[in-house]
Amino acid sequence: MPERKRPISIHQRLLRYMLAPLLLLLVVGVAVDHSMIVSPIHSAFDRALSRAALAIVARIQRTPEGQLGVTSPERLPLPRPFAGADPLPSARPHPMPGEGSRSPLRGMGGDKFFYRVSLPDGRTLAGTPDLPLAAPDDKAADGFSYADINYQGQLLRLASYRTLEDGDPVIVTVAETPARRDRAVHRMDVSFGLNDTVQMAAVLIITLIGIRIALRPLQRLSRQIANRPAQALTPLSTEQVPSEVRPVVESLNTLLGTVRNSVLSQQHFMANAAHQLRTPLTGLKAQLEVLSRETAGSPLEERIALLQGGVDRLAHTANQLLTLARAEPSAHRASHYTSIELPHLIGEVIESSLDRALAHGIDLGADSQHAQVTGVYWLLHELLINLIDNAIRHTPAGGHVTVRCGVNDGHAFLEVDDSGTGIPPDERLRVRERFYRGAGSTADGCGLGLSIVDEVARVHGAQLSILDGSTGQGTRMRIDFPANS
Amino acid sequence: MRILLVEDDSLVSDAITRGLVASGYVVDPVADAESVSGRLADTHYDLAIVDLGLPGEDGLSLVRRLRRSGNPLPLLIVTARDGLDDRINALDLGADDYLVKPFALPELAARCRALIRRATAAAANEIAIGGLRIDLAGRRALNTTGDVLELTRREWSILECLAHHSGKVVSKERLTQAITGWSEDISGNAIEVHVSRLRSKLGTSATVRGIRGLGYRLEDA
Repeated sequence: MPERKRPISIHQRLLRYMLAPLLLLLVVGVAVDHSMIVSPIHSAFDRALSRAALAIVARIQRTPEGQLGVTSPERLPLPRPFAGADPLPSARPHPMPGEGSRSPLRGMGGDKFFYRVSLPDGRTLAGTPDLPLAAPDDKAADGFSYADINYQGQLLRLASYRTLEDGDPVIVTVAETPARRDRAVHRMDVSFGLNDTVQMAAVLIITLIGIRIALRPLQRLSRQIANRPAQALTPLSTEQVPSEVRPVVESLNTLLGTVRNSVLSQQHFMANAAHQLRTPLTGLKAQLEVLSRETAGSPLEERIALLQGGVDRLAHTANQLLTLARAEPSAHRASHYTSIELPHLIGEVIESSLDRALAHGIDLGADSQHAQVTGVYWLLHELLINLIDNAIRHTPAGGHVTVRCGVNDGHAFLEVDDSGTGIPPDERLRVRERFYRGAGSTADGCGLGLSIVDEVARVHGAQLSILDGSTGQGTRMRIDFPANS
Repeated sequence: MRILLVEDDSLVSDAITRGLVASGYVVDPVADAESVSGRLADTHYDLAIVDLGLPGEDGLSLVRRLRRSGNPLPLLIVTARDGLDDRINALDLGADDYLVKPFALPELAARCRALIRRATAAAANEIAIGGLRIDLAGRRALNTTGDVLELTRREWSILECLAHHSGKVVSKERLTQAITGWSEDISGNAIEVHVSRLRSKLGTSATVRGIRGLGYRLEDA
């Protein structure tokens, strides 16, 4: 049989369906955070850049020659975004090279800083002469305009400030490499990413714990079902069952109810059938007994004896059939199962079979050790009666039948050992079949005895074995009960 | 000895009546539980045989009604139901014995005899088994010829215990308990010795049968 794939658990299913959306959410969250943070960081850096431009403007003075010029450019303050939050000494401006130098000023954290003070006609008053200008921005009222440019193979953020100094238009342009702002954005991205990941992980763990807690009623329900006796057909309690699971429990209860009703109606039917069969049989049997007494010595006596034999056989068969039908596993309610002392059972059954055994000249006895099983008393009674009956039937006068019980390897056993004719090994399987009668059968057996034994053993989870008699002749019928019964 | 038979099936009722009459009893058959009270009011019965499956008031209800009214009449239940629940129910309600249909007439007669004997023994303090008469009050046993048996204290205790359960197997443990006090300790072999001496003293009046692995049974010889 090909092994079927086990359906995945609710746990796995929930995880599987939650994990993909959660991961997607993580990516989207980081992307949103990134886009949210980029423009404030950029504008902060831009503001710092513009402050640097304003500082340069403050140093523009008219030289004695009437020209505009920049004083002490080596003391220029470098742009510091988030000023005040950055007290590191390294953040102080480095000494600047001489005026008109083309080389950039060294900014903080490896950033390069360029500036240029120029006139609208393109003349450069100070700074890097070939630094491009940002196109004027008409929308900006403060005279600043910004641009991202590629200058000498490196990306620069550029800010140009158009103003009037002593009535003359001046353009102050400052530029810096974007390494610092990129690093700032990157740091923010990393910290948001970490933050989001930790949050997701926390959500996942909380969800898993939540699932576990939410599934507890299901586990309780399955424990409740598992702890019931196998034959229990009473409805399951719907108290403490969450509303999602209640339909399952209710359908289960409906099913249990249906089974219970069918078991009850079967039991009712069997009771009626038993009554309808047994009462006329009792009448027939008793009438024939009276008749045989009254006709003793007359020619009718022999024919009445034949009739009696027939009625007895009919009664026996009816009894066995009723027993077999009532031995069906479905017919037993949990309340029928009790703890049974096997020695007590043996004593009772032997007592009821004693007169039959004595009439056949058979020594019927017991060899009981302490043993206890859980079972249906009347069924085990029937089982033992049938085993003893069989043994008596197949044992010649002068023989013996011994009933044993005890515990072997932790499980109880029941045994009927006779010194009779025995059952050939190749017939041992067939004798359990209904209505099968072995070669040596006498007329009064109906062939149901061992079927009943087999059925009752099965109801109790026990095993019937047919073995050689312990004395080397005859048969030993052994019932091995399961270890936990 | 008069027996009241409550059985609705005429085939069964007629056969039981004939069978028990042949065994020497007087039998009054009635077909329903309702007519029982009237019969009991004006006749003394030694035993009632009650079928459980009666029309109208059923047998269980009749047993309950009789016992509630304090009637001590021995009751033998005959029924086609062999469910353990029914059996326990009937015995719990106060029935004295239970026989499942179909039964043989000699079996029924034996049960009737035992029940009547038990009831009369309780009253007369005397038990009779076969030719043996056991006088419980006088603590003596008489054989077929009326001679008092010479029994030791232990043999008498064993016989008394067996007689109280005549027809039933009595275990060795139970016999041991019957003959020993708390301080005494006695082996199973000692019981066998006492039983074998008792057996020879009983002679032909009755016999004690040993049942291998179970115990002893007092029987008619």
